[in-house]
Amino acid sequence: MAPKPITSPVPDSWYPTLSVSMLAIGLVITASFFIYEATSSKRNRSLAKELTTGALASFFLGFGSLFLLLASGIYV
Amino acid sequence: MGFWWRFNLLVFTIAILSTPVLSDLILSKVDRRIDLTSQIVRITSTLKVENAGSGLVSEVLLAFPELQAKNLVYLMATTNEGKGKTKSSGVSLPVEVANPKGMPPALTVYSVSLPKALGEGDTMSLDVLAVFTHTLKPFPEKITQADIQLVLFQDSAYYLSPYAVKFQSLSIKLPDARIESYTKIENTKIHGSEIKYGPYENLPPFSYSPLVVHFEINQPFAVAQELVREIEVSHWGNVQVTEHCNIVHEGAKSEGEFSRLEYQARPHIRGSSAIRHFVAKLPPRAHSIYYRDEIGNISTSHLWADSKKTELLIEPRYPMFGGWRTAFIIGYSLPLQDFLFESEGKRFLNISFASPINDLVIDNLVVKVVLPEGSRDLSVSTPFPVKQRQESKISHLDVVGRPVIVLEKADVVPEHNQYFQIHYSFNKLSMLREPFMLISGFFFLFVACIVYVHVDLSISKSSASYLAKLQWDEVRATIQQVESIINQCLATHEKIEASLRDLSRIGDVQACKTTRKTADGLLKEHSKELKPLLAFLQSSPAAANILPKVEELVAKERELQERWMAKHSIIVDCYEKKLGGREIENRVAPQQQKVVALRQEVEDLLEYIDEI
Repeated sequence: MAPKPITSPVPDSWYPTLSVSMLAIGLVITASFFIYEATSSKRNRSLAKELTTGALASFFLGFGSLFLLLASGIYV
Repeated sequence: MGFWWRFNLLVFTIAILSTPVLSDLILSKVDRRIDLTSQIVRITSTLKVENAGSGLVSEVLLAFPELQAKNLVYLMATTNEGKGKTKSSGVSLPVEVANPKGMPPALTVYSVSLPKALGEGDTMSLDVLAVFTHTLKPFPEKITQADIQLVLFQDSAYYLSPYAVKFQSLSIKLPDARIESYTKIENTKIHGSEIKYGPYENLPPFSYSPLVVHFEINQPFAVAQELVREIEVSHWGNVQVTEHCNIVHEGAKSEGEFSRLEYQARPHIRGSSAIRHFVAKLPPRAHSIYYRDEIGNISTSHLWADSKKTELLIEPRYPMFGGWRTAFIIGYSLPLQDFLFESEGKRFLNISFASPINDLVIDNLVVKVVLPEGSRDLSVSTPFPVKQRQESKISHLDVVGRPVIVLEKADVVPEHNQYFQIHYSFNKLSMLREPFMLISGFFFLFVACIVYVHVDLSISKSSASYLAKLQWDEVRATIQQVESIINQCLATHEKIEASLRDLSRIGDVQACKTTRKTADGLLKEHSKELKPLLAFLQSSPAAANILPKVEELVAKERELQERWMAKHSIIVDCYEKKLGGREIENRVAPQQQKVVALRQEVEDLLEYIDEI
C-alpha cells in the first residue's frame, strides 16, 4: 500500500488563531480566579470552586502557550 | 613526477609478468568516457561482455590499480538494455570487493553479479560508473593570485581489465580552458576540449598504457572536511535541518599576497580558480532558511523557489583561494508531510542523506536524526553501508531526552545524495505529553496561590492586630451575606413588577395573585435569614461604624417592600373593579414616586457598603 504522509493533528494554519483564542480564554478564567480570591472572605471560600477554576485556567493557558510556541516557529 | 614513474614501472611489470586465465569472458566493446570537468572525476565505461567459453558465467570482474582505488568513493554498475534512444535506466547490480586467486598484486578487484547467468556465446551490456575524489593533483602546487590553476590527471589509455578487450575507445572531456600537455600515443585526436584515444583493438588482459593530462581547471575545489547534518523531526508539522560545514579549498595552494582590489577589478584574471559562491538545492517548500557563522548572520545569499526545488546561493564572507577555509551553518525547515510517512503501523522518515550543496566533496559526513521523545524500535535502511550509533538529546519540553541516530560515512560525493529511511513506532498519545507538561506547570502556580491564601502565616496568634483582623473578616463575611439577601429581595421586587406589567398586557388577575403569594413567602424567608445576621453585627464591636448603614439599608428595603405590596394590591383591586386606566394611574401615583426614590437610595447604600 502506498505510504500515507503524516501531518500534525491540528492544521498548521490554525496555530496563531488557536494560540490567541486559548490564551485569551485562559487569561479571562485566571482573572476570575484572582477576583474570587480577592473578594471572598475566609468563611465563604470554597476549595472546590478554586481548584476547578484553577484547573480550567491552567488547561487553557497550557494549550495556549503550546500553540504560541508552535506558531512562533519553535516546533517543540 | 617521481611518483608516476614508479607507478608506471610497477604496472608495466604487472602487465608483462602476469597472464592468468580467468573465466572465459571477453569484452567485445569498451567505451570509456572520463569526465574531468570538476574536482570529482567520473569514469563511465560501457562494456559489452561476451561469453566466449562454455560454462555459465554469473559475475564480471572490474579491476582498478590500488593507488587509484584508494580514491574510489562510488562504484555503480547498471545493465544497459536497448540501444540509443530506447535505452531505459537499467537495473543497478550488486557490486562487491572480490579477491579472486591468481590476480596480480596491487590491484583492487570488484565483482559485479549478473542478474542472470551468461550462457555460451551470449552477450550483455553493462554501464559502470566509477567516481574518484582527490585524484586531480594541482601541479604546480602553489600559485599566486594571478596564476591559473593547472592539475595533473593520470590513468591508463588502455582499459585495465582481467579480460581481453577486442575493441575499445576512450574519450576525455576537459573543461573549456587551456590544455597544457597530454600523452600522445597512436590514435590520439583532440577536438576542442575533448581528447580521444583509440580505437584500439585486440588487447590482452591487464594491458596498460600510462596517460597523463595536464590542464587548467577553474571549477571550485570545495572539500568539506567535516559536515554535520542534523535533522530534527517534530510531529507538530516541521522537519528542521541544520548543516554545520567546514569547507577548504583543496586546489593549488595560494602563495603571495591577496589583493582585494585586483580581485574585484578583474576577477577572471586575478582569482580565476577562487571559490566565489556555493549553490545548494533544497527540497521544495523549504522555509525559514538562515545562513550564519560564528560571527553572526551572513547576508550575501539569494534564494529562488519553485515547485520542484528551492535554490539557495550563498557567498562566503571572502572568496576562497587555495588552502583557505571557511565555516558556516545553514538551516532550513521543511513541511512534515513531505518526509514522514506511515505504513504498517510504523512511521518512517524518508529524507536525503548527503548535503544539498552542489559539487561538494565531503571527507567525513555525520548525519544526526533527532526523533521526538517517545519513539521506539528504531531501524535504519540506507542504500549504502554507513556507520551507525545512537545517542540522546535533551531539547524543548523533554523529560528523558530524544533518541538520536548518528550515521557516519567517509568520502561522500553528490552521487551519495540518495534517500534513506528510518523506521520507528510512536504512540499518538505521547504527543499530549508536551501540552500536559505546560498545563501542569500553570496548575502548580494556581495551587501555590490557593495554598498561600488558605494558609495562616501570622507569627503571633494572640496579638491585638491579628484578633482585630479576624473579627473584621467575620464582619465582612456577614455583610456579604446581608448584601446577597438584599439582592434577592430586590429580585423578588422585580418579579412583582414584571407580573404587574403582564397584568396590564394580558389581564390575567389570577396569575398576578399567585405571583404575589410566592413573593410574599420569599420575602418572609429573607427577613428571617436577616435576623441572626443583624444580631451578630450588632454584637460585634468591629462592625460599629458600618452597623448604622446596614440597619438603614434593611429599614429602607423593608419600606420599599411595603410600598411595592401596596401598589400591587391597588392595581389588582382596580382590575377586579374594572376601573379605567387613568383611575389606576391616579391611585398609584404617590406610591410610584416613593418606590422609585427608595429604590435609588437602596442601591446607593449597597454601593457604599461594597466599597468598604
